[in-house]
Amino acid sequence: MEVIIEKQNDVVTVFLKGRLDTLASQEVSQKLEGLAENASGTIIMDCTEMSYISSSGLRIFLALRKAASEKGGKVIVRNISNDIRSVFMMTGFLNLFQIQ
Amino acid sequence: MNIEKKDTKTDGISMRARLMLVIVATLTLEATAIIQFVFAQREIKQEASLRAESELKSAENKIMDIVNQAEAAVHNNIWIAEWCLENPDSLTRIPQLVVSKNPVVVGSTIALVPGYLEKKPLYAPYAAKDLNTGEIKMLSLATEEYDYPSSEWFTKPMELNDSYWSEPYFDENGSDILMTTYSVPVKDKDGKVAAILTADISLDWLTELMQDIKVYPHAVNMVISNSGQIMVCPVETLVMQTNVNEFALGSEDYEALNQVNQAMLSGQAGELPVRYKGQLNRVYFAPVEKTGWSLSIVLPEKELYSGVRRIGMIVKLLQLLGVAMLIVILRIATKNQARYHKINEQKEKMENEIHIASKIQMAMIPKTFPPFPDRTDLDFAAAIVPAKQVGGDLYDFFIRDEKLYFCIGDVSGKGIPASLVMAVTRSLFRASSAHETNPQRIVTAMNDTMTESNDNNMFVTFFCGVLNLATGHLHYCNAGHNPPLILTDDIRLLPVEPNIPLGILHGFSYNEQETDLHYDESLLLYTDGLTEAEDMQAQLFGLDRVEAVLRTRRSSQNHLEALESAVTEFVGEAPQSDDLTMLFIHYLPKEDAPLQERHLVLHNDIQQIPQLATFVEDIAQEKQLGQSLAMGINLALEEAVSNVIMYAYPKETDGLVDVEAYLRKDSLEFVIVDSGIPFDPTKAPEVDLNASAEERPIGGLGIHLVRELMDSVGYERKDHKNYLKMIKKL
Repeated sequence: MEVIIEKQNDVVTVFLKGRLDTLASQEVSQKLEGLAENASGTIIMDCTEMSYISSSGLRIFLALRKAASEKGGKVIVRNISNDIRSVFMMTGFLNLFQIQ
Repeated sequence: MNIEKKDTKTDGISMRARLMLVIVATLTLEATAIIQFVFAQREIKQEASLRAESELKSAENKIMDIVNQAEAAVHNNIWIAEWCLENPDSLTRIPQLVVSKNPVVVGSTIALVPGYLEKKPLYAPYAAKDLNTGEIKMLSLATEEYDYPSSEWFTKPMELNDSYWSEPYFDENGSDILMTTYSVPVKDKDGKVAAILTADISLDWLTELMQDIKVYPHAVNMVISNSGQIMVCPVETLVMQTNVNEFALGSEDYEALNQVNQAMLSGQAGELPVRYKGQLNRVYFAPVEKTGWSLSIVLPEKELYSGVRRIGMIVKLLQLLGVAMLIVILRIATKNQARYHKINEQKEKMENEIHIASKIQMAMIPKTFPPFPDRTDLDFAAAIVPAKQVGGDLYDFFIRDEKLYFCIGDVSGKGIPASLVMAVTRSLFRASSAHETNPQRIVTAMNDTMTESNDNNMFVTFFCGVLNLATGHLHYCNAGHNPPLILTDDIRLLPVEPNIPLGILHGFSYNEQETDLHYDESLLLYTDGLTEAEDMQAQLFGLDRVEAVLRTRRSSQNHLEALESAVTEFVGEAPQSDDLTMLFIHYLPKEDAPLQERHLVLHNDIQQIPQLATFVEDIAQEKQLGQSLAMGINLALEEAVSNVIMYAYPKETDGLVDVEAYLRKDSLEFVIVDSGIPFDPTKAPEVDLNASAEERPIGGLGIHLVRELMDSVGYERKDHKNYLKMIKKL
């Protein structure tokens, strides 16, 4: 899985490309550790090229969301496919994130 | 909801019926009164007749007594008179003798036939008794003014040559004493009539005698003479002035009166009706011998029947009173009936409400049959036939994770309390089975909850089972309920430990049992409404009859209907006393045997996870699944498998995860098998989807996703292995 993190002023955009399965989640989780620690701004999770997500992937989203709300930031999920949207819906994540 | 029924015809006996009742009662009373009146009248008539007859007889006897005395007075002196004819100077002594020796005789004479003695051409010495002093004076009747030879008392016996009672007459002294004279011819030696010897008697006692007859207060007593002269009569102007024949001529009812007169004058006895002065009278009459008189009693019918009329009046009054009371009673009865109707209405309303309660209760029970139309491995049917009274039978079932949870129960007692307990029991079953997969724990939890607050000592016999539909393995726990029947080639009882019903003993440890249900075997659960259904002779339907019905091979629904109609037929007219509840589970082999199988063996290494994607892709291609569906299956499998990889085996130990896929025509079945520690992911608590981000735990999403994505998920621990079975319908 390819993860690209871009910073522009206070806004951090994370581009997730490929399958965020259990295995990928371990890697992505590590990559985003630093981001979670400084989650005082706006974090945009760009899912345009994310084709799959498992519960471990969802956990990363939730952990980020928790960290951000602790530090006064916010998480925006951008551009999720219909399949992933339905996973978000099944798990109630649609209510937890601002979805663009 | 307004279920009240308004019946307008319930205001008691109808007006018309009440009127009829009063009329019939009145007519009956009237008829009784009339019959009574007629009979009484007849009795009274007979009675009056007898009384009059006896009074008349007694009066006649008294008269005859005096008449006989007078006759004797004359006859006793006849021989002296005959003897005296030879010595005419002593003739004067004879009347004296007659008068002095006989108290009833007030005067007497011996009158010679004119010319019998030459020296005395007319000779009639007369002895008269002074009624006041009793002194006897001698007089002579042979005077020119009197002319005794032409007097009736003289001429008649002469003419008859026999004794004769004269017509009554008033004493010539001018007093109004009524007299009569008895005259007897006196014959000389040659047999020639020489003189007439007489005895006068006063008839003033006759009036008194007749006045003494008091048959009825207004009865009129009369005596008439031989010729019809009225001798005694209350109307004094008629006495000795009027002949009855003359009287009859002037009367309104001549014919009747004349008939009476003729009967009396001819010496008959009897009674006849006569109308006089507008009133109907009865005349009783009887003759007096020798004198030719006739006695009569005239009785107004009005008076005769006055007693009956009085009774009649009283009866009428009583009748009126009776009818009035009847009307009053009817009114009260009508009011009572109205009240009774009101009570009935209330009762009906209550029954209606109970009926609604029963309906609500029934609505709680799953009633759509077949309940699992998609399942080919289960032929399921259940029914409650409620008794008239609300009962406390229940059943329930549902399928979760390829397991059929089912129960049946019978609450002790009947009516609303039983139905409430039944509702509570059903809720408890749903609550306990929501997170328990084991019937023993379900039953124990239910029992503990129920015993905590069972103030009414109501209990429930209960049977709970959990059938693993994948394997046919059945776990069950009985709480004092009838053992279910197993239908195979023969019929046998499922061996059950009775334990005790729910709600009796807190903390009671219920024993669980298990068995394997084979393909094509059925399980019949029932309440005692089946085996204890009673017919008119209080015989029980019994298990033998149940088995007889079940020997024919049928579908569950048909079995159920066959049993129901057998019970109905057996019971006949007897009222259904208890709910009849049955639950059939027919376990069938799966029709959709897998067409293909796929296997994947993974190590407990997370690096192997991506292999799943290829595995699923292959299946998706084979079954031509869409991308979304494939992704869903991939996700479910990944969640289940990663769960095993991460938690089933201790860290740093190698373990395997088997992923089996069975491809069927319209479903996919996946079984994840591992030999790690026993772990049932289906028991993970449900995720609260509505919680805020802060409240949401990080974990727990995996199994949730599996449940969401698959149509059924089932876990089983068998041979030290965990089996997680997932089915996805296509």
